[in-house]
Amino acid sequence: MSVAADITRAQRQAASFGVSSVLLGLCFAAACAAPFVLNGYGLYVLTLTGVFALVALGLNLLTGYAGQISLCHAAFFGVGAYATAILTQKVGLPYLLSILVGGLLTACIGAVVAVPAMRLKSLYLAIATLGFGVVLQKIIFEWRSLTNGGGGLALSPPAIAGYELGATGLYYLTLALVTLGIWGAWNVSRGRTGRALLIIKESEIAAGALGIPAARYKVIAFAISAFYAAVAGGLFAYLVRYIHPENFSVGLSIAFLSMVVIGGLGTIGGSIVGAAFYVIVPELLRGIKDAPGLVFGLLLVIVMVLMPQGLWGLVRRLGRRA
Amino acid sequence: MIANLIVGGLAAGCLYAMVGIAIVIVLNITDIANFAQGEMAMVTTFFAYWLLDSVGLTWWQAVPIAVLFGLVQGIVIQQVVIRPLIGSPVLSAIIATLGLNIVLNSVAGLIWGHQTYTFPSPFAFSPPFMIGTVPVSVDSVVNIAAGLAIVIAMTWFLRFTWIGLGLRAASQNPTVARMMGVSISRTSAIAWGLGGLVGGISGILVAPSLFLDTNLMGALLIKAFAGGVLGGLNSLIGVFLGCLALGVAENLVGAYLSPAFGEAITFIIIIAVLIVRPEGIFGRVKARKV
Repeated sequence: MSVAADITRAQRQAASFGVSSVLLGLCFAAACAAPFVLNGYGLYVLTLTGVFALVALGLNLLTGYAGQISLCHAAFFGVGAYATAILTQKVGLPYLLSILVGGLLTACIGAVVAVPAMRLKSLYLAIATLGFGVVLQKIIFEWRSLTNGGGGLALSPPAIAGYELGATGLYYLTLALVTLGIWGAWNVSRGRTGRALLIIKESEIAAGALGIPAARYKVIAFAISAFYAAVAGGLFAYLVRYIHPENFSVGLSIAFLSMVVIGGLGTIGGSIVGAAFYVIVPELLRGIKDAPGLVFGLLLVIVMVLMPQGLWGLVRRLGRRA
Repeated sequence: MIANLIVGGLAAGCLYAMVGIAIVIVLNITDIANFAQGEMAMVTTFFAYWLLDSVGLTWWQAVPIAVLFGLVQGIVIQQVVIRPLIGSPVLSAIIATLGLNIVLNSVAGLIWGHQTYTFPSPFAFSPPFMIGTVPVSVDSVVNIAAGLAIVIAMTWFLRFTWIGLGLRAASQNPTVARMMGVSISRTSAIAWGLGGLVGGISGILVAPSLFLDTNLMGALLIKAFAGGVLGGLNSLIGVFLGCLALGVAENLVGAYLSPAFGEAITFIIIIAVLIVRPEGIFGRVKARKV
């Protein structure tokens, strides 16, 4: 997609802002009302969607805007989950504070991972980040004194200010953090950083000629993206209440990347839609006897072949027509 | 001891190399990292198994038919899935191959079930070669020889035939290649056909060393990518040597440094190599006009 297309797109969006803000408000109201309608299982699926949407938001900043592929987001997600769990259970920090600390810690790791990314491109970068993912996962596995290794870590329900968080509480916390995450991603993408990242994706040489330090912005993008993944990890740990190093393998990283691409690269709405597709569709397909994988795989192929710009492109086209 | 480890590593490495070569043929010409390559090879191998077991052909009759099946399979997949995606973001095509990976895996599961089969090999009962005091299994020797033969044949094909020149032109600059009369859509189909063909050969050669089931290629695919990146993706011989080196490195690290961190250390080595040489050991920097 060229920069010119982005500019015309931005103008068109500004024109239809009234309609889309009404739709956005409706979606938000529906999300707030969901716990009163859904049963426990439905609420779990929706919370999981929110958690993955948060990862996808962060990964989209990195892959969609800056054009950097990462296959270690599952490991960032895992480090966030373990850091939050350990800080809450063993150190005794309040839940929200340990999510924040876990996020900042993982952001630092993300910045370190970004160092080889300054020189690597496409598949080379994918394999290097994949390597970091394997290393981080292995460290979690082998640091038994801290993480209990292959035994996994069982967690008790989290509490905020003495009030124990049930499934509904965790759902609202996730909703609040996703809202914050959307707001943050919106600001980053519209601001100086987002525009710099878009140029870096188009051409690093052009970015350099404009005085944009590509290396620094790549590190920033990796750090922000890792922060999102880690916060989501902190939520995930207490959603499932039992975490195991095997949860955070390469397969999950690939799933995160698929969410971003299915939803739509470089769009905020796409991250949400992509995560919803990836979580909810397999759950719906569970009833089909011995072929859920077949149908899901086919849907994946069909969505990509018919909508190479992702599901969000379709949503936007329908919105424009309406 | 160390000689045994190296030979064992080479045996594992040549399994990665077989898959790696098939991936790189498609990758170099179409820029698409084909995540379905392993499953395509798995389906071809099952087809060969069906020919051997149910139809009752001999190994030497079944394999050429199966390899031809691999070629057709590659072309069909390119026509149905990849052709509509020419010109779209490369990541979309990559995710489509990921979906294809899931589809082929489930289809194979529906047809052949999830039990494991033993795939026959005409070399299974030959006594191992002896290099000094180290026994080398005939399967490994055949795999390495077949890998080298494929690399040489492909290099010849890409350098010295008109079709091969067209393929290389299309990968360097699609627009100019099209102006010179090279059909981009057809080169992509040829690349996928070749990928399917080489993948089929690799599946059939790999299967006797492992067990044939629907997850035959799952473990090999990522290793093949890693070995390819280590060697340098735009050189076929680089990919081949990179995969062999990866197998040897894994074995040596696992035995001498730390069994628990074996895989992790191998990846650290790859990252270190990439920091020094971002295009892999044998890779050349692809010149791009801005």
